[in-house]
Amino acid sequence: MTHMNNQSRVDRRSWLKGAGVSLALPLLDSVGWAENRGQVAKPPVRLGFMYMPHGVIMDEFWPKSPEAFLKSPPPAIRSLGPVLDQCLMMKGISGVPISPFNGAPHALELSTWLTATLPDADTRSRVNIAISADQIMANYVGAHTSLPSLELATMPQTWKENQEGLHEAYYSHCSYRSPTQPVPAEIDPRNVLNRLFGKRGKSGRVTPVNPLDRQMLDKVLGGAKDLRRTLSRTDQRKLDEYLDSVRAVERRIAAIVYRQKEAALEKAGVRSAKRNASDSPPIEVKIPLGDKRSEYMQVMCDLTVLAFQTDTTRVSTYIGSTPNGVTYPELGFTDQHHSQTHHNNRKEMVRKVAAITEFNIAQFAYMVKKMHSLKEGDATLLDNCIMMWGSGLEDGNRHQRHNLPFIVAGKGGGSIRTGRFLPNTKGNQGDLLTTLLACAGVPLDRPIGIATKQLNEIKA
Amino acid sequence: MHPTRSIPRIARTVSALGCVVVLFFGTRGWAQVGGVGPDEAALRADARKVFKERVEPFVKRYCTRCHGNRAKAGINFLAALKHPGGASSALQWKKAVANVKVHDMPPDGAPRIPSDEERRKFIEWVGKIKYLSPRDPGPFVIRRLTKVEYGNTLRDLYGVDPSIADRLPDEVFGEGYLNSISPLQSELFLGIADDVVNQVVAPEGKAPTAIQKRLFGEAPPKGADLRKAARRVARSLARDAYRRPASEAELEVLVDVYDLAKANKLNHTAALGLMLKAVLVSPQFLFITPAGKPKSSEPIVRLDDYQLASRLSYLLWSSPPDAELSALADRNELHKPEVLRAQAERLIKHPRARALFDGFGAQWLGLSELERQEFDPEMFPQATPALRRAMVEEARLLFESIVRENQSVVRFVDSDYTFVNGPLAKLYGLEQDVQGTEMRRVKLNDPNRGGILGMPATLAATSFPNRTSPVRRGVWVLEKVLGERVPPPPPDVPELAEQDSKQVEGLTLRQRTELHQSDPTCANCHKVLDPIGFGLENFDAIGRWRQKDDAGVAIDSAGKLPSGKGFSTPAELKRLLADRKADLARNLTERLMAYAIGRQLEGYDEIVVDRLMVKIAQDNYRVRTIITEIVTSYLFTHRRVKG
Repeated sequence: MTHMNNQSRVDRRSWLKGAGVSLALPLLDSVGWAENRGQVAKPPVRLGFMYMPHGVIMDEFWPKSPEAFLKSPPPAIRSLGPVLDQCLMMKGISGVPISPFNGAPHALELSTWLTATLPDADTRSRVNIAISADQIMANYVGAHTSLPSLELATMPQTWKENQEGLHEAYYSHCSYRSPTQPVPAEIDPRNVLNRLFGKRGKSGRVTPVNPLDRQMLDKVLGGAKDLRRTLSRTDQRKLDEYLDSVRAVERRIAAIVYRQKEAALEKAGVRSAKRNASDSPPIEVKIPLGDKRSEYMQVMCDLTVLAFQTDTTRVSTYIGSTPNGVTYPELGFTDQHHSQTHHNNRKEMVRKVAAITEFNIAQFAYMVKKMHSLKEGDATLLDNCIMMWGSGLEDGNRHQRHNLPFIVAGKGGGSIRTGRFLPNTKGNQGDLLTTLLACAGVPLDRPIGIATKQLNEIKA
Repeated sequence: MHPTRSIPRIARTVSALGCVVVLFFGTRGWAQVGGVGPDEAALRADARKVFKERVEPFVKRYCTRCHGNRAKAGINFLAALKHPGGASSALQWKKAVANVKVHDMPPDGAPRIPSDEERRKFIEWVGKIKYLSPRDPGPFVIRRLTKVEYGNTLRDLYGVDPSIADRLPDEVFGEGYLNSISPLQSELFLGIADDVVNQVVAPEGKAPTAIQKRLFGEAPPKGADLRKAARRVARSLARDAYRRPASEAELEVLVDVYDLAKANKLNHTAALGLMLKAVLVSPQFLFITPAGKPKSSEPIVRLDDYQLASRLSYLLWSSPPDAELSALADRNELHKPEVLRAQAERLIKHPRARALFDGFGAQWLGLSELERQEFDPEMFPQATPALRRAMVEEARLLFESIVRENQSVVRFVDSDYTFVNGPLAKLYGLEQDVQGTEMRRVKLNDPNRGGILGMPATLAATSFPNRTSPVRRGVWVLEKVLGERVPPPPPDVPELAEQDSKQVEGLTLRQRTELHQSDPTCANCHKVLDPIGFGLENFDAIGRWRQKDDAGVAIDSAGKLPSGKGFSTPAELKRLLADRKADLARNLTERLMAYAIGRQLEGYDEIVVDRLMVKIAQDNYRVRTIITEIVTSYLFTHRRVKG
């Protein structure tokens, strides 16, 4: 019910040409600015997530057999056709059992998606869950890029529905920086662009970051520590969230200042980058004028591609749609997605759910195809990415969570063997997240949520 | 319209064991107003005795075999028996009451089953557990300004347009709002601080802006001690922005920033600009923080007057304290009950008090999303954004008139006037009387209209894009108007649309909905919900009056409340609800209290609210009295700093 009339309607002058975003170039090194000048490093692995709620029509989603996966893919994934050999599907990944929150399947399908953890039952009216997989990765690699992670959504995260006494944020958030800190997502593509590549002044040029800000923040942080001493224990914990978030901003300023220096050097003819000459130039991003859902989602996908391509961040999470009253006017459906998923096998409703699923996967396909078309080193951008598409339910009709639908695209820098459908995977969503993080090179000191093992069968 | 922060839910009965009826019309269970004397000690002693001699034996006899050492269906009495008055035990007791009340527990086949009399007694005994809660204003944590509060604060202090904060993510409304902060928000706070400084401080060589002069004073004469001047500016900037005097250490930080700027060759004005930016990203600005460490070592202290001024001002205005409130805080007079009450009245009468609807009223009535709600464009082409805005505006104007004119809470349900503009008047059939886009107060002659039950905003907000939802409307009336607890449906129950199509062929919406009642897992709740919802079925999905439904069948809006009282039109339903003054008032009081203190009510809170209700009843449930009682209450004026 919430779509983006206001967010995406911008004037024509805001069309951004490739030149406008080239400032953030060109750094594609695995350890960022700390590395020695002049060496071309192995590109880093990037990890992206894209979400759709309410599950799929199983018959239309799962391949009939491992052989059929490439030869005659099911309708839901046909849009991935040209890049199916770059994809991996595995059936048999179960969700976190949601008891004692049985009455809140939709709040939990999203909030458990990247945490593989249930909210704490005793403090359910506040947010208290677990750090999510994307944020674990951001903690590990975030310092190398100017943005530790990117969180995007199509709808504002303000849906209000009480289920099982759980905090409403569980309904609209999948990224958690700590058990008590949901990470808000950006819904306006222009804000995302500003965040990625700096704010533009009236002239259209990027306003340079003031290096003084970093020192100023340092002093403010010092003062905040004084304040901390006068506060009660609970207040101190709240202030710590503030301290943590400001430190992230400090790091970001440092990274941007470094980039600005690099760009200046490059302009002056000093070869500063470790990029290959054969790498594709940064893609062009156009912000759509209308309020077509597909165009809106594609610009968010473009921004993700551009952010990965320019190594502005290595982690992204895109809530393509939230589990609430979302409709699909572009497909001609005025009914809500949710009410159609309770189809009870009625043909017309099944057809709509299938179409909505295809639509969502098509946007994901748009993104990974673009990544596949971009060169990076002697491979493609997609080769160095792990892009996961999925839902938090297997089947919205009955809220089942035994075979959660997932598609993984990209070879994760050679860590994942794609072009396969694994029909008998035995594991849970925590196992999957743990494995993907391992493939992305993140050392884990403990499994994620309910995980008990890694799914070695998906690895190369 | 963005709600500033959310109305926390009142602790509600949640059933993990299926759809259990906890909807007892006419009684509020354990919230009896009578019998609450001033002698808390005696009540506590009695409660302790009742717990030991009655509740504990009952639980051990009937419950702990399953709900003892482990949580079954989310209920575990082990901790609750140890700490019956603890906040986390409250949920266990509520669930216990709900399930015992409707004979859902103990289950059929259990070795021992309590008699009806025992059940009734158990519910009564559990009602006393609240007296075990020690006198306690509840958990307290410093809170961040919400997006709306932050924008308003920048407007008040620096004369910028509050839309400067539009880039921030919208707040998530939950229990309290989501009082957290992420790197994205911090980054945006820094960017917005930049914008503020750029708007306030004129570029070098240009004449200073008026606000710049107010903030920084006149340029110091040549040879003056600039650092000293900077310290003076820091003191006054911080007094406004931190909403309390800054400590010497806090001033030191700001002067350090000034020095940093000077060391980097910025001139005096630009250095003050950087200092202002530092103020705007400081936690003392972004959060409402206490003025220093509490002097006593008590675990519970009174809010200092500065905190109290902020709490009051952000509650009623979503804006920082004005000069009068600040002066009272400086003189340490604000906490005096008569002063505090007078200030609350003053703030309520000010036009800024519209923030109370935007922040509280819209969420209470469930209208926060109406402007973004979608309607089927073919069935309801008139449901344009402008019309939906007008709907919300109508609700706001009614809310404001009731508060400002200090009317009884009953007016929310039953009023003979409303506010409409031309497009909205069409929904009422009043297009002859009102034209144009401006909202106007009109008298209503149709008893079906008037009040939140017969208002397009609430009727539309509770509908689907293409039809009404009597179930949603029933839930809305029970929860939002009467403050009852409606448990969620059991998992995996098909919605109406997915019922077996053969079974429902040829049935009206009412008959189809009533199918719920033939299923025992659904019947208990739907027996209560559905008649209320159908009582409003004469209003379509955008609030127009109709005699026939979409299929052309005459609407049957007759029904009965569980109390047995019948109604046959929306007007009669309204009248029945309007008679329940005490329930209407308690609901509003609890919700507003929860919003005011930013958390859900539990334990000792109930005792405080019980007491407020006595005074509120004496004043015939007037809304302004509800507000002033809340802001002068123990819960609003105290905080726990330890334990």
